Amino acid sequence: MSATTVEHGHAPDEAHGHELPYAAQLRSNRLGLWLFCFSEIFLFAALLAARFALWNEPNVGITRPELSQELGLITTSVLLISSYFVFRGETAMEHGDRKTFLSSFMLASLLGALFFIGVVVFEWNVFGLEGSLGGIELFGHLRPTDGVYGGVFFAMTGMHSIHVVTGIILLLVVWNNGRKGSFSAEKHWGVEAAAIYWHYVDVVWVFFYPALYLIGTAV
Amino acid sequence: MWVFIALAVLTIIEYFAGIYVQSPVLLFILALIKAALIVQFFMHIYRLWREEGSHA
Repeated sequence: MSATTVEHGHAPDEAHGHELPYAAQLRSNRLGLWLFCFSEIFLFAALLAARFALWNEPNVGITRPELSQELGLITTSVLLISSYFVFRGETAMEHGDRKTFLSSFMLASLLGALFFIGVVVFEWNVFGLEGSLGGIELFGHLRPTDGVYGGVFFAMTGMHSIHVVTGIILLLVVWNNGRKGSFSAEKHWGVEAAAIYWHYVDVVWVFFYPALYLIGTAV
Repeated sequence: MWVFIALAVLTIIEYFAGIYVQSPVLLFILALIKAALIVQFFMHIYRLWREEGSHA
């Protein structure tokens, strides 16, 4: 991360022995992260393929489990808003506005945690709760043991949630480094990397949300 | 900000399209548009092809 160069007080773009100039290092870092994102496409695409292959009934066509539409929309919106705050934070850091960066990244982490709670506590219903609010069913009823529907649903949301958790940790680490003054308007690869990763998690959900909640006949 | 508004509007369209239209093709197209907006404007994929290595 850019922290190394800034903290040790080297002049911008100054190469030291084996170290690459910052600009070259940034290009390599970017390429590496994008390659990582690309490799992860195969994992999520495989889960999507499993969903369309297994949630399919002979005389019905594409199917899906009966899930709370409102809960799906709320969790999706929360993740989308968190993505906006990450974008806001990164843009603020590009302009050297550390205060806005810190508040935005913290808010994005909290929204990410809210999304995670929405999936695990409400949709997975790990505590076995029951209840509704204004006609909206708050807690899911699907279990991992409910055949292909439960299995695929928990595999998809579980794999995505793991990425959400790592994303939250990454955002908080970057937030903490930012708080210590490790980033500047010119050098903030850590901020950019965390933002790219978080948006990637959002992109995955952009495809998972309709696949899980909207496409197919509810059974 | 306009990208976020566009994404929010597309999500609402997606929600109602899922309930009333139920067309997998339409929903997939909407998802592709949303993903493209995020990749281009939030993830700044165009920076990959830049010669100079800067953040902006």
